[in-house]
Amino acid sequence: MKKTILFLSLVVMAGATFAQKKKTTTSATISFDATTKLDALPKGDNKTVVASIDPKSGAVAFEAQVKSFSFANPKMQEHFNSSTWMDSDKFPTATFKGKISNLSEVKLGTDGAYTATITGDLTLHGVTKPLSTTAKITVAGGVITTAADFSIKLADYGVAGPAIGAGKVNTDPNITVAASFK
Amino acid sequence: MAEAQKKRKPWLKWILITGGVGLIAAVVIIYYLFTLKYDDTADTKSDYTVSAMDFLNEFKKNDSLANKKYTEKIITVRGRITELQPADTTINIQMTDTTSGSYVIFAFQQQHLAEARQLKVGDSVAIKGSCSGGTYSEILDAEKVEFKRSAVVK
Repeated sequence: MKKTILFLSLVVMAGATFAQKKKTTTSATISFDATTKLDALPKGDNKTVVASIDPKSGAVAFEAQVKSFSFANPKMQEHFNSSTWMDSDKFPTATFKGKISNLSEVKLGTDGAYTATITGDLTLHGVTKPLSTTAKITVAGGVITTAADFSIKLADYGVAGPAIGAGKVNTDPNITVAASFK
Repeated sequence: MAEAQKKRKPWLKWILITGGVGLIAAVVIIYYLFTLKYDDTADTKSDYTVSAMDFLNEFKKNDSLANKKYTEKIITVRGRITELQPADTTINIQMTDTTSGSYVIFAFQQQHLAEARQLKVGDSVAIKGSCSGGTYSEILDAEKVEFKRSAVVK
């Protein structure tokens, strides 16, 4: 009996240790939608975003290579990367570093669906600004799936090209982030 | 009287014709630019054909030089698949240098997702895609090179 209890305790401890290890993915997705009534083209996604989540501390991080955003229209992609918009030669990466601020309510080691508040710093176009958003987190069989949907003000990040001024690009684009950590 | 007016403003006719032609040309150009789409990568000629490990070594040796050479070019990369990353609507394929953790990753063009889903870890393949360039990942502490609009070379 004692041996069984000891064995089960070790299994639980091993599970807890595994659950607390930092998890990473190289295939998170960030979608960007800046379409307006005048232009349906400024819309793209990046499917090779690097991301991490630390179940113990609640730390969350994302790294998106700007040139990896893919658009249906080649001209749109050219504009997006140009010096009048994201200037990807000068600022090749967008990053987010933050944490789950209500970690006591989000049990990353226990199966379930949670609503997390994520706060941190978003660096885009060389400008760093604080960002806070809610994210849906699902834990199932050790896999943590996260999804967040928010908008940013391009002007806050110094992004202001002629197309934005002309109303062809939404000044507050919608950003969707999704990641699955195994 | 009407005949006299016609003679007095012969330039008006040319302004109207030129304006009309200009307007039609502008509409055609705008339509062309708005409906422009990327070619199928499978039908696009590769600028370079490389082996995954040699390619990664070029970036690790001098990533600014390698970025100048390869970024936004169509590259065929030959190598062994070390990871498949399936998601709801997509799949990414990764070729990793297991000693350093650096890797090449491919996101696929919509019409080539089905053929990518047929591949398995360990398969030796050639994948052609648009190189987004290489950067160092602080999260992973490794160099990575990303591709978009990829296709499996048959």
